[in-house]
Amino acid sequence: MLSPQHWFTALAQSALGHYMQTSQWAFAITEMVHLLALAALGGSVLFIDLRLLGVVLKKESAAGISRDLGRILLVSLTVMIVSGIGLLSEEAMKCYFSPAFRWKMALLAASVVFYFTLHRRAVQLAATGAADLWQRTIAVISLTLWLGVGVAGRAIGLV
Amino acid sequence: MVFLSMTEPILKHVCQVFYDSHFGTAIRESDNSFSIIESVHVLAITLLVGTISILDLRMLGLVLCEIPVTRIARAVFPFTWAGFGVMFVSGFLLFWAEAAKNYVNPAFRVKVILLLLVGLNPLLFHTSVYRRVTEWEHEHRSPWRARAAALASLTLWSGVIVAGRAIAYF
Repeated sequence: MLSPQHWFTALAQSALGHYMQTSQWAFAITEMVHLLALAALGGSVLFIDLRLLGVVLKKESAAGISRDLGRILLVSLTVMIVSGIGLLSEEAMKCYFSPAFRWKMALLAASVVFYFTLHRRAVQLAATGAADLWQRTIAVISLTLWLGVGVAGRAIGLV
Repeated sequence: MVFLSMTEPILKHVCQVFYDSHFGTAIRESDNSFSIIESVHVLAITLLVGTISILDLRMLGLVLCEIPVTRIARAVFPFTWAGFGVMFVSGFLLFWAEAAKNYVNPAFRVKVILLLLVGLNPLLFHTSVYRRVTEWEHEHRSPWRARAAALASLTLWSGVIVAGRAIAYF
């Protein structure tokens, strides 16, 4: 089992890495795809959690909304991860040593695990009408985690 | 062409006035202001485009088909408008700092044109097919004019995001 640093080095030296580093537009276009998927991911996360908070569509089933918008969430998350690997390959070593990148990965892992476990449970148990404290707590944690991924991601390019 | 040749220098002049102003210069020369405003601008994409695209996808019959269109619209609009407010204010501050550079930036020009078109779209939509929305709000797939508006919205907003990102590359 190689250390994480080896994986990052391997990615930087891979064919993908070479392409992203030398192509004039590949990085920019991949960034655009990453941003487009961000819009879709953010919108679906926001609306699933606003429903859980009891702010929007209270009369509709939280499980139904979460199932439909969850498809957008998973598709856009996949696009973000794939395009993210492309972006990472262009500057893998910089990211490896970047605290912002490490925070982003930790928060992303936490967001995804949270989404498939406690969040899913809260959505399934949610009744129509006013939200209880448990649901609201779950929604606030979810929004905070996902926002954290975004803020840390933005910080990679800045710090 | 006469119109263009007369207005272009005026717009150029206005951009230069913004660029040279004390406030614009302060944002541009500050260590962190521009980056922080830019981060808000980028993350608020989710609020504006992320929410309106839910309504667009509903009209296309892709998500939340059991829920009437008007109910989705009522739930989405406050957040879309809030997102628009954040985007407009943060975007205007970024423009203020970079106005003279933005003026000659082709990506910025494309973005402004796309923003005008994306503003025209709901105007046409709300004065036409949406006026009879009660007749079709329960249909899983909205009438073709509503679907055309939804596709136009998704396409134009995507274009705005792509052009916006491209500003940094020119």
